[in-house]
Amino acid sequence: MARAEPPPATFERRVLRSAAGHHYLRVRLELPDGGARPNAAQLKQLVVAALKELHGEVGAALPVDVLTYEEKTLSAILRVVSSGFVKLWSALTLLGFYQNRRCAFRVLQTSPFLLALSGNSRELVLD
Amino acid sequence: MSAPLRRVQQAPRHLLVSEKGHARHPRSRHAAHVRDHAYNCRVSVLIPECGILPEVLKSTVADFGVYYLVKNLSVHELVAREFIDSFVKKGSCYALTYNTKIDQDNTAALLPTGKLILSVDKDTYEELGLQGRPSRYSGKKAMRYIITIDLTDSDFHPDGKKHKRVLWALKEKKPLEFDFLMAWYNTGAEGSTLMSYFPKNQIRALKPKITFSTLRDLQCPALQSNELEGKPEESCSTEELFEWLGAVLNQVNLDNKSSSFISTYCCPQPNTTVDQAFLCTITGFIIPDKIIQLLEQLCSYFSEPKLAHWLTLTVHGFADSPVSWRENEHGFHKGGENLYNFVVFRNLDYWLQMAVGTHDDCPP
Repeated sequence: MARAEPPPATFERRVLRSAAGHHYLRVRLELPDGGARPNAAQLKQLVVAALKELHGEVGAALPVDVLTYEEKTLSAILRVVSSGFVKLWSALTLLGFYQNRRCAFRVLQTSPFLLALSGNSRELVLD
Repeated sequence: MSAPLRRVQQAPRHLLVSEKGHARHPRSRHAAHVRDHAYNCRVSVLIPECGILPEVLKSTVADFGVYYLVKNLSVHELVAREFIDSFVKKGSCYALTYNTKIDQDNTAALLPTGKLILSVDKDTYEELGLQGRPSRYSGKKAMRYIITIDLTDSDFHPDGKKHKRVLWALKEKKPLEFDFLMAWYNTGAEGSTLMSYFPKNQIRALKPKITFSTLRDLQCPALQSNELEGKPEESCSTEELFEWLGAVLNQVNLDNKSSSFISTYCCPQPNTTVDQAFLCTITGFIIPDKIIQLLEQLCSYFSEPKLAHWLTLTVHGFADSPVSWRENEHGFHKGGENLYNFVVFRNLDYWLQMAVGTHDDCPP
C-alpha cells in the first residue's frame, strides 16, 4: 500500500538571538624556534594550562574541544561554551611559553557558527 | 553579579534566522533571499548518497560565469555616463573592492539595483564632501560614514547638479582608487562586455575555482522537513544541522566519545551513516543569479527517485562587504560572517538558515 505523501511544509520563520551554545575559534600556534611540534593532546593540554594560568582552576575546567588539528601548520579549530569565550580568548592571547619555548597563539577567525569558519573571504586568493 | 564579571561571560551578539517553506509554493521567497544577498565568495553543495557530480549539475557547474579583477580603478569611472548606460542600466552589474577591510579601510560597492555604496572613514568623509550618514555601528563618536549614490535616479543625469557634484568630489576633491572585483549579468543581446570596456592592462578575467570531493562513511542527521525544532528521538533541529554541516565542511571528526580528552563533539542524534556523500565547492566572486540557477538545478535533482533525503547548499558572503542583505549595513566586529544555507528535501520542502554577526541587521 503506497504511503500518503506528507503535505508540503507550511511557511515558518524562527529568529534566534545570540542563542548559539558554543563559539568557535580558528587559531594557529606560532613556534618560531622550529623544534618538535605538539600533537593534538599536547595542544589541548597547552590550552588548559593557559586557562589555568589566567583564570585559575575554575577557568581550567572550562569545556574546550579541539575539533581539528593540523600538526604541519599548527592550526586548530577550538570549540568553547559561549559563556567561556572571552576567558578562552584572553587566556590564549596571554600565553607566552610552551615547554619553555617562546610561542604565541594567533586567532585567525572566530564565529558562533562553525559553518562560517569554512570560508574566509579575507583569505580569498585569486590566481 | 557585578558588571565586569557579567561582561566576561557575554559572547558577541549574533542572529540565526531559520525559515521553512516549499520551493514550488507561488509565494515562496527562497529565490528572493538569494537575490538580495549580492556578494558571495564561496558556495558549497553537499549531496548525501551520491558519489560523482550529478547530471543535472554538470552544465551549471561547467559554466559558472566569469568575474573580473580591475586594478587601480578610480571610483569616478563607475559614475561615468558611459559606464552607467552600458552596464548599470542594462542587466545586473556587481562590483566590490578587493582586499579592503570594512573596519579599517575605505570600501566601495556597486549593487545590481544601481546604488553605489561608499563606506569611508571620518577623514575621507570630511574631505570628500558628499552627503552621507554615520554608520550604525560606530558608537557615540562616528568614525565611519556610509554614502549611498543612486546611479539610476532620474535626477542623476550628466547635466544635473547631483552628478556634477559627485563627479567633482570623486575626481578632484578626494580621488578614491581601489582594486575591484566585478561581474555583469545580462540575459539580453550581447553588448560591450566589461573586458572590452576597460584597458587590457587593468582588467583580468578569472573563473571561479571549483573542487569536488567524495566523503566516505559520513554520519548524517535524520531530518523531518516540517519539524524545524526537531522531534526528540525522531529528527534533529536546524541548529544541530547547522553545526553538523559546519563540522563536515571543516573536516571535523564526528565520532568522539564523551570521555575523550581532545574533543567531545559528535554527530547529533538521531543519525544514519551513508556510504558516500558528494561535496562540491566553488570559490570566487559569485553572483546571486548563478546561485539561483544552481538552486533550481538542485531542486530538479529530486525529480528522479534518489536515495538521499535531502541535500544542502551553503553560501558564504564577503566579510568585508559594506552590505549584507539588500542595503542592510554590514560590519566586521569580530567575525564579519553573513552566510546562508539551504536544505532541500525530496519533496521540495526547504529550510533556509541565515546567520549574521554582531554588526548586522536581521536578514529580511
